[in-house]
Parts: sequence; C-alpha cells; structure tokens
Amino acid sequence: MSACDPMSDPRDCGADAAGYVLGALEGVDLQRFRRHVAECVVCRDEVATLQTVADALAMTVPQLRAPGAVKRHTLARIREASSKAATSDRARWLHWNVRRPAFASSPSFPTRRMLTAAALLAVVATAAGAVELAPRSTTEIRAVSAAVIDQGQLARAVLHLDSGHAELVVSHMPAAPSGRIYQVWLQHPGEAPKPTSALFGVTSNGAGAVDVPGSLTGVSVVLVTPEPLGGSQVPTHAPVILAALPS
Amino acid sequence: MVLVSARDARAFETIYDRHENAAFSLAYRMCGRRAMAEEVVQEAFLSLWRSGARYDRARGSVRSWLLGVVHHRAIDVLRAGVVREARDVSDDKMVERLEAPERTEVEVARRDEASQVRGVLGELPSEQRHVIELAYFGGFTQTEIAEMLALPIGTVKGRMRLGLTKMRIALGDPADVVA
Repeated sequence: MSACDPMSDPRDCGADAAGYVLGALEGVDLQRFRRHVAECVVCRDEVATLQTVADALAMTVPQLRAPGAVKRHTLARIREASSKAATSDRARWLHWNVRRPAFASSPSFPTRRMLTAAALLAVVATAAGAVELAPRSTTEIRAVSAAVIDQGQLARAVLHLDSGHAELVVSHMPAAPSGRIYQVWLQHPGEAPKPTSALFGVTSNGAGAVDVPGSLTGVSVVLVTPEPLGGSQVPTHAPVILAALPS
Repeated sequence: MVLVSARDARAFETIYDRHENAAFSLAYRMCGRRAMAEEVVQEAFLSLWRSGARYDRARGSVRSWLLGVVHHRAIDVLRAGVVREARDVSDDKMVERLEAPERTEVEVARRDEASQVRGVLGELPSEQRHVIELAYFGGFTQTEIAEMLALPIGTVKGRMRLGLTKMRIALGDPADVVA
C-alpha cells in the first residue's frame, strides 16, 4: 500500500477517479485504474469521496412509476429460478467438488498449469451436461455448478447465466491469501485462459459474488485464481474454481 | 437485507416495493426506452436476489447500492450499442410520472434531498455539468466524451473531477443525503 509520489510518479494521481465513479472508464483504462487504486491510498480515498456524489446523482432523475409488469416478471423469474435450484438440489446436481490432482499442488505448478487445467477441464466437462438446469432461453436463468478445488469441504461456487450476463456466486470460500485477490479468467477450447477485469474478495463468512464481464460466447471454462492485488495478465496460481460451460 | 440474503421472498418483495420507482426512473433516464429500462430493472433486482450477501451496510444505504447496480446494468446495455442509436425516439408518453402524494416523512425528505442535489448540479458551470451528465446518465466513456466534444481527454477528466469535487463540497456528505 502506498500513496502516489509526485516526484517519482509523473501521472496526475487521481485524475481517473471521477471517471471511475461515473462509470466512464472501460477496457484497458478500467483495468489499469483498478490495479493502480489497489496500491494507491490517495486514489482510494478520492474514489471513496467522489463515489458518494456519484451515488447522489441517481436521485436527481424525474421520478416515474414503475410499470406493474416489471414486478410480476421479476417475481416470476425469481420463483422460476428458486424452483429450479430446489429441484436441482434434490437431484444433487448443484454444488459438487472435485479433488485437484496431486501434481497441481507442486510449486512448479505455474509452468504446468495448462496441463492441470486441461485435466480438470476434462473432469468438469464430464459433468457439464448435468448442471445445465434449463434449455437456453433469453429469459431463463441457468445455474452452473463450479468445481471448488481444495478450499474446504463447505466451499461452493455457482455461475448464474442470465440473458447474456454471468455472475459467479461463492459461499464458504476462504479469503484469498494475504496480498492476493481472486481473479476471474475465461478460457476458450485449446487456448490459454484470458484475464478479465473481474476481481473479488469474500466476506468474513466466505460469501462473495462478481459479475463476469464480456461475452461468454465460445468460452468453455470460467476459472478463478488468487492473484496479486490488481490482477494478472497470466495466471500465477493454480485455479481454485472451475466452471465448465455447456457447449 | 439480512432476510433477502437468506432468500426470504417476502423480504425481497418489501425491498422491491420500496425502491422499484427509483430504480425504474434511473434506468429510464439512462436508456430512454421503456422496454429496455424494464429489462435493466429486472436484471438489477435479480442480481439483488442472487447476491444480496454482497451488500455492505457500512458502504451506504440499500437504495444507493441498488441504484448503483441499476447504473452498471444500464451502462452494459448502452455500451452494447442497442439503445444509443434509438434513444432520440423516446417513448416518454408511455411512462407515468410519479405524482403520488408524499405519504411519509421519508418520502418527503427524499424529494427535498433530490431537489438539493439537482440544485447543486444545476449550479455547476455548464461545461462541467455536461461531461458529468454524459458520463453518468449517457453511459459514455471519457474517451468518447473527449471525441464527441473535440476536447483533450485531460480536459474532460479535469472537468469531471472539478465538478464532482464542487458538488461534494456543496452537499457536505452526500451519503447522508441519499441514505
């Protein structure tokens, strides 16, 4: 943790904080600022200060009455999702674990991580057909159980796919090791995992959730690894969560 | 919110009823189309249902947290390019302005506070207000705004920062305003 030093850092520290809280950063700029703010106490303070103003902007819009249909549709989708999740629980399709192969815990894992990922992918893909809860639809929610690897018996992870959005929800997940944060990766068949800007931590009871950015078209596996604060461009640690997406 | 985190449907409905109009109003202001705003609101509340545990009371009210989710969802829609081309064709006649009587002290206070924030925003120099509105309500990136206004990106960043800082000073602690 450090503050920006104008003598050694020629950037105008904090210049992107306003854009960040207004949602005006994206892509590389967003990733770069997130990495920076994780290390810079000045910018973190600036973000916290300006975020309250940005939040207040939401209150300035003319107030309209929400159409009643929105509530009906929302509640219907929740009932549908809850029903499917309950059915799935009974079928024990959700929340299953696989053991990480022993060689994956080797200190040299990063050099062999693609092999490990391939091995785990094969295991996860075997079960992929069993975790698709509903046919593809623009309105239905699908929940894909993820394999949680060596994070304790209770740790669970579920990937919710909903109308083009994906959200990873974890529970009973241990905190990332000191100085690290969980990062989400997307992997296409036969390719190395690609980094996303999705970084997340968990609460004291191990709960956490993160939106998975970008399109999942063609993605076969969503992975999570603990990475240095700010994230990495290539995985530096073995995956702790693997979610195989139905093809 | 504790009950919502535990997937209590009745608690969820209470939260929904309390904040649906504010959520829809923000989504409609950003998307400019009723159908798209409805979809954004549904997505935001579904996200609340699925991940209510993510809410941290120490970081603000449920309302501001939920509106933050709406804001991010709406930006996703805007950046997907579906809406921007069509936003000039507003279906404003199809939405109903909320003219309900102010029944509770909380509602009265919210209206007063919203009016205060609007006033402070309106007092900003137009060039600062413009970039803030393009970013927050229009969902444009600072790079897009710089191109749109033919300004150096540093100028856009500076105007955003100065405008928000002035608002922060004028409002005191806005977290109190929107609580």
